[in-house]
Amino acid sequence: MAPPSIPPPTTAPAEAAPTSAAPAGFLANKSRFRLFGLTLDGCIKVFFGGNAVVAVVVLSLITIFLFKEGGGFTGQNRANLEIYRRAGLEFVDFMRTQVAGHTALTRELSELRLRQFNRLTQEQKLPPAEANAALATFDKFSDQFDDAVVPLRRLVSDLTETATAIKDKFAINENLSIARQQLLAEGKAAEAEKIAVKPVDFEAELKPLLAALPDYQKAAADEAAKIAAALAAAPALPSPELQARLEKLKSSARAYVNGFPEVEKTLRSWDHRQPVPAARAFAAFVFGREWITQSFWQDWYGILPLLVGSLLVSLAALCLAVPLGIGAAIYVNQLASPREQRLIKPGIEFIAAIPSVVLGFFGIAVLGETLRWLSQQSWLSWVPGFPYSERLNVLTAGCLLALIAVPTIFTLAEDALNNVPRAFKEASFALGASRLQTILKIIVPASLSGIISAVLLGLGRVVGETMVVLLCAGNRIALPDFTAGLSVLTQPVHTMTGIIAQEMGEVPHASIHYRALFMVGLVLFFLSLLINWLAQKIVRRYRIAIG
Amino acid sequence: MPAAISPTMERPSAQPTAPALAVSAAGTAASAAARTIIDIDHVDFFYGPSQALHDVSLKLDEKKVTAFIGPSGCGKSTLLRCLNRMNDLIDGTRVAKGSIKIRGVDIHGPQVDVIELRKRVGMVFQKSNPFPKSIYDNITYGLRLQGVKDKSRLDAVVEKSLRGAALWDEVKDRLHTSGLGLSGGQQQRLCIARAIAVEPDIILMDEPCSALDPISTSKVEELIHELKKQFTIVIVTHNMQQAARCSDQTAFFYLGRLVEFADTRTIFMNPANPQTEAYVSGRFG
Ligand SMILES: Nc1ncnc2c1ncn2[C@@H]1O[C@H](COP(=O)(O)OP(=O)(O)OP(=O)(O)O)[C@@H](O)[C@H]1O
Ligand SMILES: [Mg+2]
Repeated sequence: MAPPSIPPPTTAPAEAAPTSAAPAGFLANKSRFRLFGLTLDGCIKVFFGGNAVVAVVVLSLITIFLFKEGGGFTGQNRANLEIYRRAGLEFVDFMRTQVAGHTALTRELSELRLRQFNRLTQEQKLPPAEANAALATFDKFSDQFDDAVVPLRRLVSDLTETATAIKDKFAINENLSIARQQLLAEGKAAEAEKIAVKPVDFEAELKPLLAALPDYQKAAADEAAKIAAALAAAPALPSPELQARLEKLKSSARAYVNGFPEVEKTLRSWDHRQPVPAARAFAAFVFGREWITQSFWQDWYGILPLLVGSLLVSLAALCLAVPLGIGAAIYVNQLASPREQRLIKPGIEFIAAIPSVVLGFFGIAVLGETLRWLSQQSWLSWVPGFPYSERLNVLTAGCLLALIAVPTIFTLAEDALNNVPRAFKEASFALGASRLQTILKIIVPASLSGIISAVLLGLGRVVGETMVVLLCAGNRIALPDFTAGLSVLTQPVHTMTGIIAQEMGEVPHASIHYRALFMVGLVLFFLSLLINWLAQKIVRRYRIAIG
Repeated sequence: MPAAISPTMERPSAQPTAPALAVSAAGTAASAAARTIIDIDHVDFFYGPSQALHDVSLKLDEKKVTAFIGPSGCGKSTLLRCLNRMNDLIDGTRVAKGSIKIRGVDIHGPQVDVIELRKRVGMVFQKSNPFPKSIYDNITYGLRLQGVKDKSRLDAVVEKSLRGAALWDEVKDRLHTSGLGLSGGQQQRLCIARAIAVEPDIILMDEPCSALDPISTSKVEELIHELKKQFTIVIVTHNMQQAARCSDQTAFFYLGRLVEFADTRTIFMNPANPQTEAYVSGRFG
């Protein structure tokens, strides 16, 4: 691209003017290789293009499959919730909730007693018998409180049987009509006629349930009166701390009793014919706090405990893996001697080669045991959540998952640090910065987006991990108790990946349980998609920033 | 690439006699009154097993511009980077023999803090390297490292340094935009501003104009003239005219050895060594 002012070179010899004749085959394609009419280049192109297409097709097939299998869930869950209502299970559960409220209060009461007992025996050195004697008035109060719910509990247990009977009837009928339809479909009309399907008359069946309303009123009034009497006679506890808890308990007991009219109103206005909207069936999945399957009473498919379990375990893992991974990356990239680099890098990357089932095995056999033992040492009792008794819990699984995330985070963060131009580092040193200042003020900020996306990809790796959580998270399907503060980390949980791995093999095809598991898979899929998408977005921004 | 965009930017091979004509009056200003600030004494320098500097001895004067010239690979950058111990960042490097003293203090001495050294000896690199931060943050970086937090003082230093680097008028309205958004020449002046913001005694410049267009180059050269009033400057350059225009003294290196060191005028007009003569007149290099 010479500027026009420069004269063209005049070196061409004059006698070269006539065009020289081309030899035979000059510039012709000499390769004779042909496959289905394609040249070698063409074949290579088809091969690589084909691979790319396969990847895209597989991804879309998986997506379609997930949606197809999970898609029927809302409808089935709606039917599930509808029969819950028709058969009166819902009605009984309103009362059951009231009983459960009482049970929670009693639990707190016995916790208080235990505290007080420990105070007496440990601080005041009373022998257990004397301590028990000192607690006699408290026990009387506690028993009185306990007894208040007995009539209601009895009522609920009676009604439970009634409702279950209705539901069973319906289920039997349902099975019969399915069998009949099958026979009809096979063309065996005569045999089909023999199966008599009598639709359940919910109206009639529910009569005894609804007739129990006055019994409920009586039981509730009885309970309210007994609780009021018990509270009036409540003894005082000597320590201010326990007394404060007792006062709190009393006020929640009063609030509990004040809620009775509300329950009664709900029971009165309850109508078994009211339809269950599809949105509610879906919300019952997304916001459902219970995952109960194959129950004699009612199945619930709520993803919350699993989602929360997965997130909790992943966050615990990240909290450990981020400092470890990034710290190691900074050390290897900025501080280590070449020899250390040669040692540490493959070492960390080797962790990624350990099969996760081996890690899980290690978690059960060694880590869980060791951590629990540590938690029970008295010199460590200041650690929040210590001591604990569950060997398999969020912490155990989190530690192992951190091990899985560290290689990902380390490798990617190290790459990001490596991409910081050397010139930045030199400029910083030349201005009188120390090593630490250069790392913290120049190198880490310049590679921050790369580091963040490394963390996100580590998170993606951890969220999708199955074996370790299945083996080490404790597999208790319940929302963890967040009121316990940090000791939430020492509770067992179940995870989305774990539940799919555990239950998928046993559920009947196309049953509601099967579809619910696919819905969990969908949530997992979108969660991973979201994480990866975020990571990519951040990396792209980072490239522009450095560019 | 076109060879004829700017005759003044040419390697000396194109115009062998031009440098001599371009020697500035500044070249003659070297006088006996000047005090030595950098004393390089019989230095041997090694990159691992390979020796890059052989027995180099040189005394540089305070508040003067000294140019290092010589063919590629002769050790100019190496020597320059010895002066603020930037070579420490490369594994396996060492000064095997001799000493480098700045204001009489051996910079490799046991009490010397290399961070303090680099605060006193600033550096401008061949390729402009502003941090991916705002212009303001680039300039205040050095001071903030030293713990200066006072906003008004930082503001004052930013203005003073940018004025000192002849960049103030161009960027005063966008101090808080990224330094990477400036043109190449502006970025290089930003780097100079960043270096003078910490008020060093000495500024080392390693081919500061090699990536710049002629107009930016002349701006930086004017700047060097100004900066010389306050700072001692050592500049590495392949541009003979630049060495002739900007420097008071010139050192010519060849194959890791100092061949000749004298007033710039002497080097360009009346070199003692035939190799120097051949190099500055463009017959090799
Ligand atoms: N990091 C390094 N490791 C090993 N050898 C090096 C290193 N840097 C430079 N050298 C060698 O030291 C010698 C001097 O290099 P130096 O960079 O000082 O040359 P220079 O005069 O600045 O050249 P140029 O004009 O091309 O910049 C060269 O032979 C070079 O190969
Ligand atoms: Mg160089």
